Parts: sequence; C-alpha cells; structure tokens
Amino acid sequence: MGSEPHAAGTPEKPIDNAEHESLRLAARERILRLRNMGNRGLWAIALFLTVSIAALNQFSFLPALPEKLKDLLGAPPPTIMISGLLILYSFSSLVLILARMIGDSISHGGFYHVAYLTGFYFFYNLAGSLEDNFWAVFAAGATILSLEGYHLWTWCSRQINSEIEEFNRLDGK
Amino acid sequence: MIKSLAGKAIIPVAITVTGFVIVCCILLYSVMKVDMTDTAVRQATVLAGTVVKSTRYAMLQSDDENLRDIIANISSQQGVEHVRIFNKKGLIEFSSDQTEIKHYVDKKAAGCIGCHSGPTPASKLGEMQQARQFVNGKGREVIAITAPIYNEPDCFNASCHFHPSGQKVLGTLDIGLSRQPLQQSLTTMRGRMLIFTVMILILTVGGVSALLGRTILEPIRMIKNFCDALSRGDFKQTLPLLEGQMEELASSVRRVATKLEKAEMSLQEAEDRLASSERQVTGPNAASPSNDQASSRVEDPRTENRHGE
Repeated sequence: MGSEPHAAGTPEKPIDNAEHESLRLAARERILRLRNMGNRGLWAIALFLTVSIAALNQFSFLPALPEKLKDLLGAPPPTIMISGLLILYSFSSLVLILARMIGDSISHGGFYHVAYLTGFYFFYNLAGSLEDNFWAVFAAGATILSLEGYHLWTWCSRQINSEIEEFNRLDGK
Repeated sequence: MIKSLAGKAIIPVAITVTGFVIVCCILLYSVMKVDMTDTAVRQATVLAGTVVKSTRYAMLQSDDENLRDIIANISSQQGVEHVRIFNKKGLIEFSSDQTEIKHYVDKKAAGCIGCHSGPTPASKLGEMQQARQFVNGKGREVIAITAPIYNEPDCFNASCHFHPSGQKVLGTLDIGLSRQPLQQSLTTMRGRMLIFTVMILILTVGGVSALLGRTILEPIRMIKNFCDALSRGDFKQTLPLLEGQMEELASSVRRVATKLEKAEMSLQEAEDRLASSERQVTGPNAASPSNDQASSRVEDPRTENRHGE
C-alpha cells in the first residue's frame, strides 16, 4: 500500500522539477533584464551630461563648418524661434511622460530625448546664442530625463516586485 | 522604490512643474537680456548722434576749445566711460582721456578689433554692429558706439576749411557707456525670477501635499485604524462619513464590518448555546465517559435548540 503512490509519483517528479527550474530561470532572466532596463534612465542622463559638457565649451573640439556647407544650409533660425520650439518640446515631452505614467505604459529610457536636446544645442550654437541659452537646454534636459528615468525606474521596480512574488510562489514561500 | 503614496504623487509633480518653470524663466531671462541690451545700444546710438550734432557747429567754426569743453562735459556724466573723436587715419584729435590725444587708435584693442581683425576694416556697419561690448582697461564692461562724422556741403564750402568735397567721412566719434546699470537690472531680474521659481515650487509641492493629505491620506488612515480595530474585535469603533470615492470605499468597509460583527455575534451565540447544552448534558450525568463530551461538541447547535425546546 505504502509503495504504490511512490511508484506512481516517481516518473512525474523529474518533469515537474525541470519545468519548475525553467520557470525559475525565466523569472530570474526577466528580473535581470528589468534591472538593466531600470538603469537605462541613468545612462541617458550620463550621455546628456557628456553632450552638455561639450556644449559648455561651444563644441570647440569639433572642426568649424566649411563655408560652402554654411552657404548651403543658409542663415540659422532666429534665437527666439529656437527658444519657442524648446518650450513647446519641453511641454509636450513632459505631458507625454506624465500620460505614460498615468497609463502605466513602458518608457524607452529617453535616449531619443538626448538626440533632440543635442539638436537644440547645435541650433543655438549655429545661431551664436548658445552661451545665453545653454542653461535653458540643460534645465529642460535635466527635467525631461529625470522624469523619464524616474518613470522607468518605478515601472521596472514594480515589475521586479511582481516577478519576485512569482519567484517566491514557485519556491512555495 | 518609493513606497509612500505622498512621495509617489509629489515627486513627478515637483520635477515637472519646477523644471518647466526653470526652463521658461531662463529663456525669458535670455530674451529680456537681449531686448534690454538692444535698447541700451539704441539709446547709446541716439546719444552718439546727439553728440555729433552738438559738436557740429564747433567743428564748422573750427573751435577746438569749445569742442574740448563739450567732450569734457559729456564725459563727466555718470555712466559715460569715454568720448573720443579721431580722424580717418585713426589719429585721436579730441578725447576725454588727455593722454591719448594725438595718438593713433590701437586697432588691436578690445573695442576696435571687431572691425579691424581683417586686412581691410569693415566700412559699413548696421546699428547693432556699430556697438561693441568689451571690458575696458579699468576692468569695466562697456557698450561703445562709433558714429561716423560725414562731410557736408557746409563743411567743404566753408572758406576756412580744408576738406575736399570728395572726402565722405571726416572722422569718427567713439562713445563708451558703462554696462553697470544694465547689469544691475539684469541681476535684480534674475533674483526676482529665482524667488518666483522657489515660490512656485513651494506652492506646488505644498498644495499637492495638502490636497493629497486632506482627500486621500487622512481618509486612508481613518479606514486603516477602523480595520485595525475590527481585527482586534473592537466593533464599537465607528468610521466617520467621508467624501466621494473615499466614502464609497468607507461604506464597503462598513458593510464588511457589519457582516463581520453579525457573524461574530452568531458565532458567540452558537458557542454560548453549545456551552449551555454541554452543561445540560454533563450536569445530570457527571460520571459520563469522555466519548459523550466529544459527541456533544460535534453536535449541531440547531440540535441544541431542539434540546432546549
């Protein structure tokens, strides 16, 4: 009598264990991926700081634009127009990030924001007014990337918590 | 991860509002700085024109004494850093600084190199280009304007004069004004904007915290205290009337509490009845075996009622 259930359970046990282990591994991988993703915001901020340090020196390490290319590009846009666009861009970015926070949708870490902000630095530099407007672009970047990074970090932390719960459930805790 | 509800609500709002206000303030400051500098340049250009017109008659009469007196009076005005008139070759004829008279203008000086950096100096300049901003030898920031003194029929037709009619420009007036009043205004404006930003931050964070505390955190605390009392078996606690969605949550909790209280009471009644029936059963037969006690425990309370009847 006592040996019967043992005999019946023996062939099933290794399969359960393997499934269990694969689920544990998958959960661990997801946790690692989420942890890496949560740090993306910090990478974006670090990249933006590097670009800002270059902009603080008026991109002096870059060679000057050839005259032909300058003629081809034409006159730079007026500073007031670039400033207006910066306000519009900051406002819409912040609204979009807040909307993503409300909708609990994933954020991409803000690398494309770094590209936009670098564009603003370049346009101000071409217009010859980067010195006056550097801190405006820097403040816009710091705000947008902080909010984006905060959203990504909290989103990833929540996902990690639910993965840890799943992990504990698999361990029978 | 931030766990408090207040932190979760306040941090994004504080970052968004403060950051956006700072961006707007910096851009506004930058635009106003440009506007104020342009206004200062226009005022300096008007002043240069006024000086040229004031000295015209003295020049026409070749009255050097009068000209020197006019320049000395203008340069004694507060905020005027220098006034000088030099001829086409750059020889300074009149100046507020006596030491530079009859000397050539240093084309490599901060105020001159802007036009004289190339092999041929810039001859035509717009209103804004006529203005140079530099730090002078005394370490003061200066806005300087150069105004050409043109040859006019009155000049070349006068019997006393020697300028040929073909010479278009007779000389140049160079007047430098201190940037200190402009800098002071900009510093005051910057300070005011900083105060404005800090006030917005305090109002935003304070407002959100107060509203959050009043409408969410305090009702949640009351509901939590009520639930804690229920878990301790204290049904005497009451949950006050709340507002909006918090009242919906509170009424759900109240319903659960009422049902829990009823269940608790019926359980208590059942236990009491069970105990009394046990006493009835065990009372007359005190020596009954323990099996009887066990059987009475599993007995349905409703049976006890029947027993009671």
